[in-house]
Amino acid sequence: MDADTNHHISEGTVFEVQRMSTEDGPGIRTTVFMKGCTLKCRWCHNPESISPEPQVHWMGSRCIGCRSCIAACPLDALLSGTDGISINRDICNGCGICAEACPSTAMELLGRKWTVDALIDELVKDRVYFEKSGGGITIGGGESTLQSSFVSSLLQKLRGKGIHTAIDTCGQTRKESLDAILPYTDLVLYDIKEIDPEKHKAFTGSGNERILNNLIYLSEYLKSHAHPGEIWIRTPLIPDATAREDNIRGIGRFIATHLGDLVHRWELLSFNNLCKDKYLRLGLEWDFRESELLSKEDMEKFAAIAMEAVGHPEIVQWSGMTKLELDDTSDKRGREKQYSVKKSNSCSTL
Amino acid sequence: MSTSAAEDFQYQIKKPKGLSPRITWLRDFYFEGVKREWNNEFTSWTTGTPWDIQFNETAFYIVPETYALMQTLRSSFKMAAREVDLPKNFWSWSLPERRAWFNREVIVNHVPQEILPGDLLAGARFNVQTSFCLGKEDARKYDRLILGKNGARAKVKWFHDHGYGNAGATSGHLIPGYERALRIGWKGIHADIESKYSSLSQSEQKGPRGAQLRAMMTAATMPRELAKKYARLCSERAAEESDSTRKSELEQMAQNLERIPWEPAQTFWEAVQALWINHMLIMTDENYPGAGTSFGRIDQYLLPYWEYSTSRGMDREFGKEILKCFWIHCNTAYDAMIRNGPDGITAGFGQLITLSGMGAGGTDMTNDLTYAMLEVIDEMTPILEPKPNVRLHRKSPDRLLDKVVDMVSTSQGAPFLLNFDERSMAGMMVEAERAGLTRLINEENVHDYAPVGCMENTMVGNDRSGTVDNNINLLKAVELALAGGRDLLPFTDPMTGKTEKIKQDGPKTGDATRFKTWDEFWMAYAVQTRYIIERCVSLYENSESIRAEFFRTPYLSCLVKGCAERGLDITQGGAEIGFTTLEAVTFASTVDSLLAIKYLVFDKGECTMDELIQALKANWQGHEILQAKAKNRAPKYGRDDDEADEMAKKVMDLWTDETWKHRTRSTNRQFRPGMLSWNYWVGDGYILPASPDGRPKGQFLSNAICPSNGADINGPTANSNSVGKALGGRSHSGSGDWREYCNSLPNGASHTMTFNPSMLRDPEHKEKFKAFLRGYIENGGSSLQINMLDPDMLRDAQKNPQNYRHLLVRITGYNAYFTTVGRELQDEVIARLSHSKL
Repeated sequence: MDADTNHHISEGTVFEVQRMSTEDGPGIRTTVFMKGCTLKCRWCHNPESISPEPQVHWMGSRCIGCRSCIAACPLDALLSGTDGISINRDICNGCGICAEACPSTAMELLGRKWTVDALIDELVKDRVYFEKSGGGITIGGGESTLQSSFVSSLLQKLRGKGIHTAIDTCGQTRKESLDAILPYTDLVLYDIKEIDPEKHKAFTGSGNERILNNLIYLSEYLKSHAHPGEIWIRTPLIPDATAREDNIRGIGRFIATHLGDLVHRWELLSFNNLCKDKYLRLGLEWDFRESELLSKEDMEKFAAIAMEAVGHPEIVQWSGMTKLELDDTSDKRGREKQYSVKKSNSCSTL
Repeated sequence: MSTSAAEDFQYQIKKPKGLSPRITWLRDFYFEGVKREWNNEFTSWTTGTPWDIQFNETAFYIVPETYALMQTLRSSFKMAAREVDLPKNFWSWSLPERRAWFNREVIVNHVPQEILPGDLLAGARFNVQTSFCLGKEDARKYDRLILGKNGARAKVKWFHDHGYGNAGATSGHLIPGYERALRIGWKGIHADIESKYSSLSQSEQKGPRGAQLRAMMTAATMPRELAKKYARLCSERAAEESDSTRKSELEQMAQNLERIPWEPAQTFWEAVQALWINHMLIMTDENYPGAGTSFGRIDQYLLPYWEYSTSRGMDREFGKEILKCFWIHCNTAYDAMIRNGPDGITAGFGQLITLSGMGAGGTDMTNDLTYAMLEVIDEMTPILEPKPNVRLHRKSPDRLLDKVVDMVSTSQGAPFLLNFDERSMAGMMVEAERAGLTRLINEENVHDYAPVGCMENTMVGNDRSGTVDNNINLLKAVELALAGGRDLLPFTDPMTGKTEKIKQDGPKTGDATRFKTWDEFWMAYAVQTRYIIERCVSLYENSESIRAEFFRTPYLSCLVKGCAERGLDITQGGAEIGFTTLEAVTFASTVDSLLAIKYLVFDKGECTMDELIQALKANWQGHEILQAKAKNRAPKYGRDDDEADEMAKKVMDLWTDETWKHRTRSTNRQFRPGMLSWNYWVGDGYILPASPDGRPKGQFLSNAICPSNGADINGPTANSNSVGKALGGRSHSGSGDWREYCNSLPNGASHTMTFNPSMLRDPEHKEKFKAFLRGYIENGGSSLQINMLDPDMLRDAQKNPQNYRHLLVRITGYNAYFTTVGRELQDEVIARLSHSKL
């Protein structure tokens, strides 16, 4: 991205700031979701994060049918039909005027511009909760390193305030971007989605060579610098894609060979389908619309393989949504299944 | 209730565990309800005069659902009343003496005594409706004040019908001096009153002070007389008993009851037995089953007895067994109207116990009995009474928080309320300052405070602060400001169908459509706020003065410091600390409405004031775009948005400052502010017209200090921060009301939050939740009710209520069985369920 080379970025494009996030690193955190991604994962859980540009989407459940948006659109990109408001993406330039005009926030602009200082004012509001929990700020996305100048300056200021910082990255990024951010980062959440380069390209649009090289670079960086202190690896388990024994075994061996003790945690995140509606709202097809959730047994099996392959079984954890099994609800295990919806807030992992 | 159907539940709900056969039997027996042979429903008793009255209706003026039933209740209790033979000179005695004698006579010599199989505590029936003991002239005067167009009853109905709220001098809702009663026994209390009586001059003895003290001496013998009866019963049962273990239990109970509660308690068993009798007789004395008659810091004042007995060989589990019997006894308060069945949100009488909390010098007071009681709660849950409140503070130990969070994770939400000491104590210090009571509430003793009912903070053993007595809809002032002191819509009586003409009830604050600036509107709102508070104060005076003149509770007066000293009944304002609390309802609805008016009319010019008023009158019909803007575009309290929260603080300062200015004429009790809301925010949503925050008429209002339903889109931390800020936050200079903490509400503010159960799914997340609670101690409010529910589970419970009879939910710190609360409340709980936007 050109944004990277611009050293005077005073604003960042953020599509969500989520408070009391409990799934993106230690403690209670506020997660900042940066807009724009370097991968195009077919299963992407936050499709609104991929484009670096602001986008509008329409939430039917909030719409009161007043057509204010249609009247407001300067490009005539909106149409009202039987399925509600449709957005002609070829015309729409994401100016957000329709969202401003919408009385019910059904039309929403994804990707708000924040200055570093304004965002910091927002982020320090939960400082007490960070302190009590050992939590802090996680920069996710999208790809957190894409707007590296902004993120670097943000993290630097947060660190100056004594707040724990984490980034969540897919690793498909330039070393210079990492160099700009790592000095102010306490924890790196790093995704390895697929160990086979061909499959990686098929699933995400890019091979994984750069990702794995960057990870090795990161591990060297950790050894020679005080910060960051640790790496957590995250792997999304997607049915008919990454959820394969050979993939988990391969990733595990890679970690064991190249990263050793630097990895404090390896999280296996089970596929969920909560983002179905998001694709609809953005007018996108989703290959995984009909995919079934993994079962608890599947996840336990993958976790066992991971433990064996990585050599440090204690670092392996799994979480996420699993299949509901209604015939087995009377015992305690059944109950856990009922409640095993674990929403990951991180977009770059799913 | 059947537990065998548990396997059919689609979702697991909390079941009791680890109960002995004794407790299992007692608990199951209790839940048989109307099918039981024995119950504790009201029995009614009369002096036999044709003008006699039993039902003390002013105690129910804060329950609008009863307005239509007042006369029926009064006559049915009267008709059912059994006559008690009176001593010849009865009518020559003073009113308090008649009442003291009559109540003692009824409970000791007329109401039967029973012991349940296996029960370790005596004290069964206590719910009675007893004669006011009024002479003919007094009864006539009473009726003149109550009945008719200008009577107290009609006035409270008008107040409610027009959306202002309600007020009434209510029984219960205090923490009696239970600690002292155990320590010195009734013998000690009696001797103290006697010495106060003999130090009176002869003319004082002949006057009302003397009469009150004589009545209190009579009342002080009531527990001794009743205990003797139960002692005899236990001995008889022991003699018939073939099982040797049970026989020795009954013998020990008889021995206990021979001594206590007259003598000071020595063992744990004696102390719990004495506590139960002392407590249940308050319900007898007040003719009021339990509501808000709270135990205070029970794990502190029972601790010496617990330690005495455990160090002398009492098995810890047996100690818990005694407590579990105590739990069962507390629940029998519900039997009062057992045949009426559950109706709306009537569950949860709130005999509150307080556990843990801060001691002198900021130390933590958690002890072995705290944990034993938490275990009892965990093992007995779900059960409603006694309702627990766990006090947390900066030095609360991790072990306590672990237990708290574990219990939250296995119940359908916390089986207790949480109170937050620093914030609560700040409120109590404000009260001391505002009322000039620093000799009674100060740095040295403020940690001794305890909550009443749900979360209403008071001092202990010397304080009646009328914690549920006045309930005002702040939103009414917005309506009046919009319409220049008049109602927006005419009132139609649902009974008669008659529509009233709109009158100029409030001050003329001008035509709002001509206001040029936001400040003009704010000034009008301020004037109307003062008016509705004055109006509430004057409404309360009706029932407060009636209670002070005609209704005496000499037994309760013995247990509240100040009454003997002043020779005044507690109903006459005898308590050393005697506030009456104005509980503001609709706080967030009001703040959001003001924010919406400012945003729509003055800041953004989205509409004119006239358009807004027309939209409200039309209940938003035909004004949907404006309504959507009000709902979605205008700022809202509860999002940690400093600008919106500043409005919240401004509203808070205005109404609390006004509240402190008032006192009752008849009893000289100062008004103090709080936020409880009970269930009014649901019912009054059908009375108050559409509001500028986008709410249509018929939709519920905001609850206590909670953000409006659905407004807290930034999650629990933002929600908590907003609540803390509305209360005053923390002072940056370090000089708050208590240390750096500020709190405008001495009574405290009820705050309910619902969490997704996945928040607590594993040890790591439980640690995060603990940290959230520690953060709440810093930034949040004075009390928190945690709900931990799944919306699908609740929807299933709506469809299949038969499978979810045990399912407890908590609303405003108010426990209820989910399937017994009304549909609107059910929907509300579901709507609140998730803090995520999804």
